[in-house]
Amino acid sequence: MSFFSAQELTVGFGTSEPLLSDINLELEAADRLLICGATGSGKTTLMMALAGIIPKIIPNKNYSGQVMLEGVPLSAIGSDALFSQIGFVAQTVEDQLWDLSVEDIIAFPLENRGVQRAEVRARVSSLMQQLNLTELSGRRVLTLSGGERRMVVLAAALAPHPRVLVLDEPTTGLDPAARQRLCGALAQAADTVSNVIVAEQDPVHLASITQHLAIISDGTLSAIEPLEPALDKSEMWEHAGLLAPRRKINRPAPPEIGRELLAISALRTKLTRASGKPVLDDLELNLHGGEVLGVIGRNGAGKTTLMRSILGLSAIASGGISIAGATADGWTTARRARSIAYVPQSMRQILFHMTVEEEVGFALSMGGNDEDADTILARYGLAGMQETNPFALSARQQGQLGLACAEASGAIIAIIDEPLLARDLQGRALLETFLTRMTQSERTVMLVSHDLELVDDVATRLAIVADGHIPFDGTSEEGWRSAAFDALGWPAPYAAQPEVTS
Amino acid sequence: MTRLHDLNFFIKLGIAFALMTVAWFAPNWQSGVPFALLCVGGLWVAKVPKLGSYLKGAGLLTLMVIASWMVNLLLQGVAPLDALAIAARMAARLVATTALFYFVMETSSPGAILAACSAARLPPIVTLVLSLTFGIIPMLRDEFERIADAQRARGMEIDNVSVVKKLRFALARGVPLLVQAIRTAHAISFSLTLYGFDLSRKRTTWREVGMMVEPHLSWKDKSR
Repeated sequence: MSFFSAQELTVGFGTSEPLLSDINLELEAADRLLICGATGSGKTTLMMALAGIIPKIIPNKNYSGQVMLEGVPLSAIGSDALFSQIGFVAQTVEDQLWDLSVEDIIAFPLENRGVQRAEVRARVSSLMQQLNLTELSGRRVLTLSGGERRMVVLAAALAPHPRVLVLDEPTTGLDPAARQRLCGALAQAADTVSNVIVAEQDPVHLASITQHLAIISDGTLSAIEPLEPALDKSEMWEHAGLLAPRRKINRPAPPEIGRELLAISALRTKLTRASGKPVLDDLELNLHGGEVLGVIGRNGAGKTTLMRSILGLSAIASGGISIAGATADGWTTARRARSIAYVPQSMRQILFHMTVEEEVGFALSMGGNDEDADTILARYGLAGMQETNPFALSARQQGQLGLACAEASGAIIAIIDEPLLARDLQGRALLETFLTRMTQSERTVMLVSHDLELVDDVATRLAIVADGHIPFDGTSEEGWRSAAFDALGWPAPYAAQPEVTS
Repeated sequence: MTRLHDLNFFIKLGIAFALMTVAWFAPNWQSGVPFALLCVGGLWVAKVPKLGSYLKGAGLLTLMVIASWMVNLLLQGVAPLDALAIAARMAARLVATTALFYFVMETSSPGAILAACSAARLPPIVTLVLSLTFGIIPMLRDEFERIADAQRARGMEIDNVSVVKKLRFALARGVPLLVQAIRTAHAISFSLTLYGFDLSRKRTTWREVGMMVEPHLSWKDKSR
């Protein structure tokens, strides 16, 4: 009898084809399984079914088959007992959070089960130190970055000492250092956690703590195989709609530099750190037509403040910002938006119309693009969805809508914050379409991301933000070898590592 | 003064009710208005966040209350100065009440309320209702402001426009706000089940709760 298993698991939500068909898997104690699949392949549904969330919390009429823990069907275990034995981190961690503090969220599963205060405090304290969350002590989770929230939810999942951990894309939004801490925490949890099942699009991030791999595609799961040899099977990854982890990249040719579109000089923000030091101080940066600038840096380095300052959402104490040669210091955010399109990580934040067509129509009203909405929507894979409510779109489709709106606005500068849609082949192609159209029309893109592989693939220039400054600004190749990048302590992207390039 | 924010939720609530009673029993505008101003001043002294937004709302409330009472009383034939005195007294009561409960709501996080309720061994359903009632309003207010920033970042000029346009744009925030409210309700319900919240079992709390509620763990003293 295996420790954890799924037998002929089938789940559907009323569509003609089930989302998961006849899933079978068997894990022995201490197995760590990585499940990879493109967006829409059924990963999230599978993770929820393996954690028992489907059908315990989300009922499903078309559920059949069994998921078993030590031979006991999950359906036979009460919700309370089940969720103290299986820890779960959702892909959209916001679904697990509300306006509590970091300590509250981590302690919540223990407090609810009546664990004594001293024990709760000891466990919370230990997890916060282990996951390096002590600096976030007392912060309300809704004020944290996406990566920080994910680490807090992971700590909450670990708090009741679960026997199985089910993690749905846990590295999303984490910088490489946080990913290392995540791996460390999962390795440390090995004493009490028997199985870890992780869904990811990129297998490399968690390769150090998982031994086995299964690929999910169109709702079916492949046989489990050893992970390490599978990393070199490019065809297998591409067949599943994923970017091959050890692929060679075609770095974009150095662009012909166009006119200066954005110039930031001696920027100092009013926003300060706890020490009283400005978040950004004496920062210089410029962007020219034809460029894709990749911006990287630790969580909290000032990347978000930089974006907000450019957009006019964060007040500036001194220094200046020019857009296409005109001083923009006195411009309102709305006026800047006619020149700068912003595509945040979660598009839900900036949608406010009732249909997809109205969203694109609003962007077209900026007057910088003569195309019609249908053409633009078709380009970004949203043909036929004009009348759909934007909030009814999947996160992936909202990302596509973000690109469509950015293009429709005709802005000369686009700021893209962590484009999660670019993690599989189809999404990457859409992002590259956007970047190509921007750069070929002598416009420019600032791409802010923790995904160094993505930055290495598509950026023509790299800027590293650290301590409120930009200690490196140059080509990606130089950037990965720079002292500023060394100081981050992050591994370089695969294609930039010495053993590959030599 | 920010230590006042860490007062036990029930103590804050008790003080607010007591002072509200004083405000409502003020015999005339001469005592009611200074008391209301004292309450508003107290918000400034206690460094309550987002005081500017509150003052705008309170100003609007005062004008509306005075105008509606004046019209009503003048139509009934009350002399203008007498009508103004009554209207000012009514406005003072409302301003004092809103200021006191603004302090309670703005300085009590859902986590602090949960802790106070759990330490008082209140039934879980009461704990939940109190935390959500007082916790969700600031959360939705913050969400409203975030959506306004998003509108600005998309190119919607919502600042340098007429009041009518401002109101129209504010209404446009209703859709994402509603979506966010539904998502928040879903997240709360999901996390309660996932994290073992049970109406038949009394909760504990990691926080030290007495007159004050501990706001965060102390990393200097890990021995506790």
